[in-house]
Amino acid sequence: MTMSLTKPAMRGLLAKRLRFHLPIAFGLSLIAAIAFKYAVTEPRNKAYADFYKQYDATKEFNAMKEAGIFESVRPSGE
Amino acid sequence: MAHPSQLGFQDAASPVMEELLHFHDHALMIVFLISTLVLYIIIAMVSTKLTNKYILDSQEIEIVWTVLPAVILILIALPSLRILYLMDEINDPHLTIKAMGHQWYWSYEYTDYENLGFDSYMIPTQDLNPGQFRLLETDHRMVIPMESPIRVLVSAEDVLHSWAVPSLGVKMDAVPGRLNQTAFIASRPGVFYGQCSEICGANHSFMPIVVESVPLEHFENWSSLMLKDA
Repeated sequence: MTMSLTKPAMRGLLAKRLRFHLPIAFGLSLIAAIAFKYAVTEPRNKAYADFYKQYDATKEFNAMKEAGIFESVRPSGE
Repeated sequence: MAHPSQLGFQDAASPVMEELLHFHDHALMIVFLISTLVLYIIIAMVSTKLTNKYILDSQEIEIVWTVLPAVILILIALPSLRILYLMDEINDPHLTIKAMGHQWYWSYEYTDYENLGFDSYMIPTQDLNPGQFRLLETDHRMVIPMESPIRVLVSAEDVLHSWAVPSLGVKMDAVPGRLNQTAFIASRPGVFYGQCSEICGANHSFMPIVVESVPLEHFENWSSLMLKDA
């Protein structure tokens, strides 16, 4: 008398595959979006906020003027 | 101006451009979200032995892949429309400048108080001084007061041109016989470069735009000097 084999799964194969892969797919894409947000978006927002928080337009203008980059106003030496 | 091999936008020099940068980050984040999802699904689809030639329809998945993209589109559209209306607000400019496109140079007219007008030709490469930028410098720059709303009326005298300064977030087509209006505020002092953005003939690549943003008193000195020289 031989041992009978267990009946293989014959239904629900796609559903099983989807149950496994879809959460991973959505999870990975959410991780990609969150990673982009914290690696690119937030540093950029912070950089702009920090730049303008202590920005002294007159000081920067004078530094640029002395460097000679403007056509309308020359360095004080000239 | 752009650095060599720069991929992203130039640093924003106007509030509108800052908004556009943040919106682009938001849209690109959504693009990455969709792209990783689709890439994963493609890999899963090509690496399975499961095949069924007889699936005819499935209401559930149809609903999912209709509603989800609609939601994503709304998430993109809301910030986009916000910026669109922001750019369209009545802005009460302090100064109006006319930028006229010619083949192949720009001319600027400041006619609010006196009649100041001048042409702005590209400086040829052989005439550049050390430190100047190739194909970007002009003999006369469009000088504006910083932190003031500026209105630019753009038109053309011959063929189509386009007046664009990326760091200010401005681009407006110059159409002969038509006055197009755009406005911006330069948030900080500096020199901002742009290039003609509509094909206009042999020297389309050689008619750049340079905007110089300085404090108001220096702008007034400059315009008096320009009027005297004229």
